[in-house]
Amino acid sequence: MQVESFQYDNKTVRNFAIATIIWGVVGMTVGLWVALQLVFPTVLNLQPYFNFGRIRPLHTNAVIFAFVGNAMFMGIYYSLQRLLKARMFSDVLSTIHFWGWQLIIVAAAITLPLGFSTAKEYAELEWPIDIAITLIWVVFGFNMFATIIKRRERHLYVAVWFYIATFVTVAVLHLVNSFELPVTLFKSYSWYAGVQDALVQWWYGHNAVAFFLTTPFLGLMYYFLPKAANRPVFSYKLSIIHFWALIFLYIWAGPHHLLYTALPNWAQSLGIVFSFMLIFPSWGGMINGLLTLRGAWDKVREEVVLKFMVVAVTAYGMSTFEGPMLSLKSINAVAHFSDWIIAHVHIGGLGWNGMLTFGILYWLIPRIYKTQLYSKKLANIHFWLATLGILFYAIPMYWAGWQQVSMWKQFTPSGQLKYQFLETVTYMAPFYAMRALGGALYLTGAIIGMVNYFKTIGQGTLQANEEAQAPALEKAYTKHHGEHWHRWIERRPTPFLLLSLVVILIGGLVELVPTFLVKSNIPTISSVKPYTPLELQGRDIYTREGCYTCHSQMIRPFRSETERYGEYSKAGEFVYDHPFQWGSKRTGPDLAREGAGNLKKSNTWHYNHLEEPNAISTGSVMPSYSFLIDHNLDTSTTPLKINAMRTLGVPYAADYASKANQDLMIQAKGITDDLNKDGIKVPPNKEIIALIAYLQRLGTDITKK
Amino acid sequence: MGVIVILIIASVLVAGGFLLAFLWSVKTGQMDDDYTPSVRILFEDELIIKKKEIL
Amino acid sequence: MNFVGRMQTTTCYHCGLKSATEIQINEKYFCCDGCKMVYTLLEENGLCQYYDLTEMPGLTAKGHFVSEKYNYLDNEAIQEQLIQFKLGDQAHVIFYLPQIHCVSCVWLLENLHKINPGIIQSQTHFEKKEIKIIFNPSLISLKQVVQLLAFVGYEPVIHLGGNDWLKKKKVNKKQLYKIGIAGFCFSNIMMLSFPEYLSNNALELGSLRHFFIYINLLLSLPVLFYSASGFFISAYTGLRQKWLNIDAPIALAISVTFSRSVYEILSQTGAGYLDSMSGIVFFMLIGRWFQDKSYDSFAFDRDYNSFFPLGVTVLEEGIEVNKPLSSLLKGELVLLRADEMIPADAILLTEGALIDYSFVTGENAPIEVAIGQLVYAGGIQKGRSIQVEVQKPVGQSYITELWNSPVLKNEKNIEKSFVHPWSQYFTIVLLIIAFSSGVYWSLYDTSKILPAVTAVLIVACPCSLLLTVSFTYGNVLRWLGSAKFYCKNAAVIEAIDKIDTIVFDKTGTLTNHEDTHLEYHGMVLSEAEMIAVKSVTRESMHPLSKMITQLLMLEVSDLTSFQKIENFIGKGTKATCNEYEILIGSISFLKSNGIHCDDSLQGAVVCLAMNGVMKGYFAVNHAYRDGMDKMVKRLQDKGYHLHLLSGDHPTEKGHLTLLLGKNIPMFFETGPEDKLAYIQKLQNQGHKVMMVGDGLNDAGALKKSNVGIAVTDQTHLFTPASDAILEGNKIKELQHLIDYAKKAKLIIIYIFILSILYNIIGMYFATTARLSPMVAAILMPISSISIVALSALLSFSFSYKIRSRN
Repeated sequence: MQVESFQYDNKTVRNFAIATIIWGVVGMTVGLWVALQLVFPTVLNLQPYFNFGRIRPLHTNAVIFAFVGNAMFMGIYYSLQRLLKARMFSDVLSTIHFWGWQLIIVAAAITLPLGFSTAKEYAELEWPIDIAITLIWVVFGFNMFATIIKRRERHLYVAVWFYIATFVTVAVLHLVNSFELPVTLFKSYSWYAGVQDALVQWWYGHNAVAFFLTTPFLGLMYYFLPKAANRPVFSYKLSIIHFWALIFLYIWAGPHHLLYTALPNWAQSLGIVFSFMLIFPSWGGMINGLLTLRGAWDKVREEVVLKFMVVAVTAYGMSTFEGPMLSLKSINAVAHFSDWIIAHVHIGGLGWNGMLTFGILYWLIPRIYKTQLYSKKLANIHFWLATLGILFYAIPMYWAGWQQVSMWKQFTPSGQLKYQFLETVTYMAPFYAMRALGGALYLTGAIIGMVNYFKTIGQGTLQANEEAQAPALEKAYTKHHGEHWHRWIERRPTPFLLLSLVVILIGGLVELVPTFLVKSNIPTISSVKPYTPLELQGRDIYTREGCYTCHSQMIRPFRSETERYGEYSKAGEFVYDHPFQWGSKRTGPDLAREGAGNLKKSNTWHYNHLEEPNAISTGSVMPSYSFLIDHNLDTSTTPLKINAMRTLGVPYAADYASKANQDLMIQAKGITDDLNKDGIKVPPNKEIIALIAYLQRLGTDITKK
Repeated sequence: MGVIVILIIASVLVAGGFLLAFLWSVKTGQMDDDYTPSVRILFEDELIIKKKEIL
Repeated sequence: MNFVGRMQTTTCYHCGLKSATEIQINEKYFCCDGCKMVYTLLEENGLCQYYDLTEMPGLTAKGHFVSEKYNYLDNEAIQEQLIQFKLGDQAHVIFYLPQIHCVSCVWLLENLHKINPGIIQSQTHFEKKEIKIIFNPSLISLKQVVQLLAFVGYEPVIHLGGNDWLKKKKVNKKQLYKIGIAGFCFSNIMMLSFPEYLSNNALELGSLRHFFIYINLLLSLPVLFYSASGFFISAYTGLRQKWLNIDAPIALAISVTFSRSVYEILSQTGAGYLDSMSGIVFFMLIGRWFQDKSYDSFAFDRDYNSFFPLGVTVLEEGIEVNKPLSSLLKGELVLLRADEMIPADAILLTEGALIDYSFVTGENAPIEVAIGQLVYAGGIQKGRSIQVEVQKPVGQSYITELWNSPVLKNEKNIEKSFVHPWSQYFTIVLLIIAFSSGVYWSLYDTSKILPAVTAVLIVACPCSLLLTVSFTYGNVLRWLGSAKFYCKNAAVIEAIDKIDTIVFDKTGTLTNHEDTHLEYHGMVLSEAEMIAVKSVTRESMHPLSKMITQLLMLEVSDLTSFQKIENFIGKGTKATCNEYEILIGSISFLKSNGIHCDDSLQGAVVCLAMNGVMKGYFAVNHAYRDGMDKMVKRLQDKGYHLHLLSGDHPTEKGHLTLLLGKNIPMFFETGPEDKLAYIQKLQNQGHKVMMVGDGLNDAGALKKSNVGIAVTDQTHLFTPASDAILEGNKIKELQHLIDYAKKAKLIIIYIFILSILYNIIGMYFATTARLSPMVAAILMPISSISIVALSALLSFSFSYKIRSRN
């Protein structure tokens, strides 16, 4: 056993870095675009492919999985090799991982505007891509664990633990949440329905935040912050406690996204308690990060990398304080569905993930290119633009969110709602504009950063393979005293982690026996009936167009909501909803009872409104969907869909698939005739008819006598 | 709400996995030293080569 | 102008020492060749990051380092003792390197393999100040490893009894397992209990409810049988000794909680209190773990073994042989090099013996010993190499016998903590309440007897008591540690609280070993006389002569030649210089030359007589630490009885009385057993005694006293067995430190009041048989967390005095 010479693979790191930079700018540009769509709805909504509903998911997916995802892999591939004193296990796997991930992103960028969407937030990608993600994730995991096995440093630094947690948990989340039944190549139905789907979705949704946006970046923080400051982390002990505490608390925070919804009370409270407890480990981590710089604030003043990191860690502290607060019922009752939440997530996104990523890039690129940063000045400009950007973004949104909610909830002395929903929309216009400005500033910063990075890259030469030396890890010798049941683990950390993962999956799948799900989904309200074929098709158009990005379908038990939208939503109403469409944001009004009660509107109204929203309700920011009038409804899929629904337990008659299309045409005919009365000539085989049918169905079930 | 069973089983298993990880880390002395590792990461093992070249 | 060059002081690039030298290499200055050599070594091996990581990280390499010193490491038997594990091309050894102090140290030590390929891997433990070296015996010998370490400035501490006391300091893994498992089960049980608490009606959960509850039951088993086992065991052993220790009521509470929960679950009458139970266990384990903070890099209980070298050089027919000290026999010839310790009482065979006993007896100056005289184990040879013949085996030497004296055998500080009686009352009160509530309900609603009684036992679990104690002592230990006062354990803090008498040692305690200086007492010397004396003393290599020369150098610069000089080894010097007839040396030497000197004069002094007249004498003094007088005053104001025991000669007495005041009993020339006896005497008078000392000569007293505080100037230097270690420059803080230690009890009492309030609330629910699992689950963490927080807060705010002086 001797000192071994080996090489660190910087090429993969470089690739991920460049991907990060480019996708970052792309994702943010899309973000700016959607922001501007709310300011200039008529100009910037280019239907059908670039309507808000289709590219808002594009924005979220791009920044989360393309920007943050690549940044995370960049950081992991750089730090993991050095923390373990070993090159990544296999260059081939690294390459597959890199290109595979980029392909997935490209696929997403193509499919989402085309309207291929599962309509589950942050998991919109359709089933073929879901499978691809799974495969690439396994490649990543295998590469990581194999590297851990052949490491030359016995101790696993806390960052590595965070990486492991990221891999294991995200894998499980993705598998459980993407459990869906393919109908066609690009269409699938979530296996879960209604409340259950909602619970799974937000169990995933929140943990995606936890284990995709937080744990890996905490790992990066624990590596790159000490490196940049060249001083050990304030308390390593605390960082270890931080890790274990976070691991055991995060999993259950999910349900706080569903407070006051039809989700059972206890499940909601479960979410609240765990979300609240999260503040302790989170702040422990933040304090640990900031105190690492104690006595080095002079360094922070001149070292731009540290500036970025300080803001990042502070932002982490802010959002991890706000999170638990927002999950308190009383606060959540106010903030939920409003633009406040948008501000909250962007503090996390722009602040924590964005700033940390940029900081790391400024530190890392000159290193792997063995050169100096091209321009400190530009970097500082980037820093200030980014910081201002965050403020300009968040402050108007917080303010607007607050106003918005208070307008929603205000009553006149006579007990009438004070404001029409539309008024709240028009009121937001200036704030949306300001928010767009903030975004623009941040994006400008990012572009300047990009220039700076590429100039730096240009003036240096990549140390594709960095020479390094380290003594081989001595054989783990153990005086065999007192054999322990987990002794074998001693030598092999990986197999057992993989195994525990396998166990999880088996366990999960065994439980996931669909019949079980179907059984546990017995309708509790007799009057709730499955959708008619036409409504079903209409619903799929609703999900395709991403209506859920602006319209909720969940009336919470507040007077302000029941007055506006009708009786509050019951769990039983959603038993046939694959997927659920509760939404998380009300840029437009709630649609849960769109077809019922005082909200009921004529087919003509819907027709005209979809064709030209602004004409009907002036000041509306909703895009025009006139293309639905031209597009023919693809009825060939109807039988498939009916059968799929039957497998999922929706009680259609056994042979209904064959008859479905006849019923469909009959119902469509009815609507077109009705439209004809108002002089609207439209053939029944158009998509708009299906959508109208669905909208008219919404919320009608329980009112039926 | 049958689905909660799945989620709970999944979570408990994940947590269990990490419990094993914890036991392993204690067993193999990962926890023995709670300071030096934080210092160790500051060392650049690349630098050495550069020095060697000079000589 | 090399004169100017010489006068400029430069900072050593290696160790940061200021000095006026020209030693330099590529524009880097060094204080000495030693530092330069280290630098060049690192430079050649491309290890200069050592200097980038920290400014001037090095340790002064100045001072000769004798490589033969480690010859004994070639001895098989010794290697056996040191090498932990050996297999073919691999040998593992752990050394204690007290010098480890910064990032650079870690870096250099972990890159040793770059300097010598024979070293496979080296791993440091910063807080324990240990290094684990894996080397290839076929490429590098153990001796060479140690030499390499010593060369780069990290001389390992190797002593008889080897690494035994290193091995003791293993982290208690079992405890961590228990915490981990308890934590896991607790968090999951909690998670699965919420549905029960939070659902509006049982129907809402339906079949899930049972699913949850049974998983909980499952999860609670490891907590009960593994994590909580410690409490049951200690409670049981307590009861065997016929007294209720604090764990008894806890064990009771846990078992009651569990059995009631099981009953409720199986009878389907409720969900039980499993979350509270596992929570309590989890929090209390954390508390215990927190309190067991030990100062890894110190050893509090060393016996004489750790002071003696592991091996010695023995002369057999004139050939040097290395053998382990343990196998040293009576009558063997031992070779002692400069700065080596005398391993056993022996007879001096060769000239040039100059023994420093300061550590053993507290004697200030090195003593010259004439051939044929006895030299005592523990003394350190200052002069050139000497040979001695062993008289007694190591174990039976004068100094080592101390440890064998029976008075030291008994364990100390085992009297029960003041909390234990409290916990007994607590238990009794608890049982009374439980009983009476049982009686009450038996009159009104018999169905509620069981619920009420069990609930009382569940709620009133004294875990808050335990948490308070463990966390408070934990915090106090830490703060004292941050003030450089390292207590062995919590028991010491309680012992300090009872102290009413403090006994000080002089040498090394009130004075500072580090800087010694010479003082002249007697008639004033004229310049001419001084020149003459100096000219004579500078001829002698005797350390004291050197000191005299330096002393006079300050007064007069020029020299003169002398006519005649003769040296009497071990006695003194006789010389004729100009018109002066100079006699300089020990009292006996002068007396033998018919000089009359007053009999009061004694001890380690160098007398000077000129032309047959006693002029005066030079006495070696250790400088007194500053602030001693204030410290003594403050302690007396606090009402402590102070005593002073010195192994030294009473030459200092006057000075001391001036410094410390008259009302302190002082005793001089007290040997180790005198000190020990004195402490015992005080204790017999019913005093609780704190002994503050340093050297081996205090070891007995330190061990005997109720609280033995070992003073040291570098925490890594050897301190005899003690209850606490105090850094020399902190002695002046002694009173504040004691005060703070006393505060611990106060804090605990405050928090008890709080926890009693919690108990009252809990009792209200319990006795009225309305304790829902929910209430228990809320009350438990709130009380625990608030207690922990308060304890931390109080112990912090009280510590401001000792903090402000850091």
